[in-house]
Amino acid sequence: MEERLVVIGGGPAGISAAIAAAELGAPVTVIEKNAYLGGRPIEENYASLTPYLESAEEVMGRLIAQLTSFENVDVLTSSKVVGASRDHAPFELDVLTGSATSKVEAASVIIATGFTHFDPGRETQLYGYYEFPDVIALQDLEAMLKEGKVTRPSNGETPQRICFVQCVGSRDRQIGNEYCSKVCCGVASKEATEIKLLIPSAEVFIFYIDMRMYGYWENQIYWPAQEKHHVQYVKGIITEVLPKDGKLLVRGEDTTMGRPMEVLMDLVVLSVGMEASPGTRQMAALLGVKQNKYGFIEAANSPLDTVSTSVPGVYAVGAALGPSDLEDCASSGGLAAAKAVRDLHALA
Amino acid sequence: MPVGGNKQAAGVTELAEAIVTSPLSGREWDVSGGSSRMLHSRVLTDYSASGFAKIAALEGGNSLEYCFGCGKCVPVCPVDLVSEYGPRKIHRAVQTGLDLFKSDELWKCTTCGNCLRVCPKEVNMIEVMPAVREVAMVEGTIPDELQQIMEKTFRYGNALGENPRRRPAWTKGAGVDVRVLASDPSPVDVLFYVEDYWSFHPRGQQAAQAFARIMTSLNVDFAILGAEEKTLGDSQRLAGEKGLFEALMEEVIDVLAKYQFNRIVTPDPHGFNALKKVYPKYGHTFEALHYSQLLAPLLEQIDFQGSLEATVTFHDPCYLGRHNGEYEAPRKIIEAIPGVKLLEMGRCRENSYCCGGGGGGMWLDGFNANHLSERLSERRVREAAATGADILAVACPYEVSRFEDAAKSTGNEGLRVMDIAEMVDIAMRGEDWRS
Repeated sequence: MEERLVVIGGGPAGISAAIAAAELGAPVTVIEKNAYLGGRPIEENYASLTPYLESAEEVMGRLIAQLTSFENVDVLTSSKVVGASRDHAPFELDVLTGSATSKVEAASVIIATGFTHFDPGRETQLYGYYEFPDVIALQDLEAMLKEGKVTRPSNGETPQRICFVQCVGSRDRQIGNEYCSKVCCGVASKEATEIKLLIPSAEVFIFYIDMRMYGYWENQIYWPAQEKHHVQYVKGIITEVLPKDGKLLVRGEDTTMGRPMEVLMDLVVLSVGMEASPGTRQMAALLGVKQNKYGFIEAANSPLDTVSTSVPGVYAVGAALGPSDLEDCASSGGLAAAKAVRDLHALA
Repeated sequence: MPVGGNKQAAGVTELAEAIVTSPLSGREWDVSGGSSRMLHSRVLTDYSASGFAKIAALEGGNSLEYCFGCGKCVPVCPVDLVSEYGPRKIHRAVQTGLDLFKSDELWKCTTCGNCLRVCPKEVNMIEVMPAVREVAMVEGTIPDELQQIMEKTFRYGNALGENPRRRPAWTKGAGVDVRVLASDPSPVDVLFYVEDYWSFHPRGQQAAQAFARIMTSLNVDFAILGAEEKTLGDSQRLAGEKGLFEALMEEVIDVLAKYQFNRIVTPDPHGFNALKKVYPKYGHTFEALHYSQLLAPLLEQIDFQGSLEATVTFHDPCYLGRHNGEYEAPRKIIEAIPGVKLLEMGRCRENSYCCGGGGGGMWLDGFNANHLSERLSERRVREAAATGADILAVACPYEVSRFEDAAKSTGNEGLRVMDIAEMVDIAMRGEDWRS
């Protein structure tokens, strides 16, 4: 059997890695649990991608078309890696497709199993996500934006007052997620902009602890949201959401004014952060790869080698390594491909 | 709240009349009913973009909304040091419902420009404030004392309400001939635009006389407009009277068109700012110089008869320094005077403190007394005195009277306030500045 380079996960990082490896001439197998490629942006119905507001379907569609145009790429959808051994070649993977099992011999493995959105129902984050229909999360709003219609789930009306609550599930010792999820400030600002474009009469607010707009996102997303689209940024995070007269009363402290705030909203959007996906945890366990305390895969030679793991021949890319934006996914994907192809040549 | 198990009667929480005395300046101000403000709900119940939208609809008003709350402007805002102010705070206040058009906050800004110097988002209060003030002027929500100045400027062409025919009165004490163009309209090199405070204020007149003597000794060919001169009105513009400024400009342009001159020299950084930055926007371009810029390159030609023997500190005028980038010319002059040692204040050059006179502040002393813990000029004089200097040198006609008053009110009578032209004149003539 031919030894192949195996990419587990067909999202932005996995596809980027597979394309790079295929361009270098390697035989590549992509194993994707869903029946389709595209990962989180497609699975969660993202309307557009940050920072350029391009359609997620179009961007991912281009990437997928590029991937599937290679003759040396096999894509196994609806497939999961359920076993791994090192009896033959570096790795022998058991792949379950539907009810059929097959074996794939891998010279090296790239884990691209990504993240999952934080579930906003946990202690200290009691914003009523499961109690109030009009409390939604970033990805719920993405799905609405994709449909081109933002409404209050409770009554179908067009919301006129919408707020985002930042850092839900991130930067919290009690939850155990001490890290910043890196993209939510940008994504919230992007979605706020899209709401204003869709509902010009709406007032949109972003309540934040710190705005974390690294690099070019500052004036690609944040400044235009504030200066051109009149999104109101308020420093001070919301602690409580209470029902009031058919609306939602958000309560917090305005820290720069040093005063309490109680403001009525039609729609509250929780900027949920990233957590290690079940797939990331499972693949790390199966391949014996060291994870950090948050369940993400640990880059063994950080900071200048961002993709090598504790197991030689196994690499991790994108949000399997921790909170990542799309540029991170593409960069780490390319680096892992280069290292994995090197392994393939070393064996030959 | 129960104390010791017994419910207590409500205490007095509000004084109908209350006067507080500043431990710094000794000034009293009225905070009657102040404590009752504390009894209002502290809860913020709304944020809105509508206040920004109303301001952004005005020319120059769009940038207030750009503030992202970094707070860099607050420590360098001269008004914040003596009250609760600063552009960041104005931004948040508008976001939380302040109607800036009707607020006292509108009149505190001196347009000194130090906030804009440090603002990463280029929030331009020098454009925002005058734009909002212009609307307030029309709506009539303007402090009375400022309104009176606008009326005087409109009627007499000067902010002091003086008879325009008395404009050239200062020339009588100059001891040199000062040509008035109306009586001798032949071409001239330098049109000396005297502006209001050098024309009419007694201490300004002394500086004007000194400057005339210096120019004469340097054989500068100069003349004045005399009774035909009207203020350029830049501070009136920044206080919100753009219409008055434009009307004055038309009259000024008509008068200037009658004469041939190479350049305009003015002692007033505000007028200089108008000629250099604002007039060109209306298509009127002149070679304009601040008097320090005329003198600085000529100083080596002066035959100083004496030596000043003084330590001097220099106050950079906002509209000469920060607004127009000229920091060196006045310093060159000071340092060229024999027997002078220049001591810089901590806040100097780009970060110079404001005297409080710009943007209409010159005419809001009564208003500001109720809003500021002390005058900006008082705070500046304190800083000048702390250098140990004998003389506080100034290069703006607003400042001599402001700082002399402040030196008295702060107990720094020993600090002499002098225009740089007066200093040059005294050393040139070999006189003693102490006499």
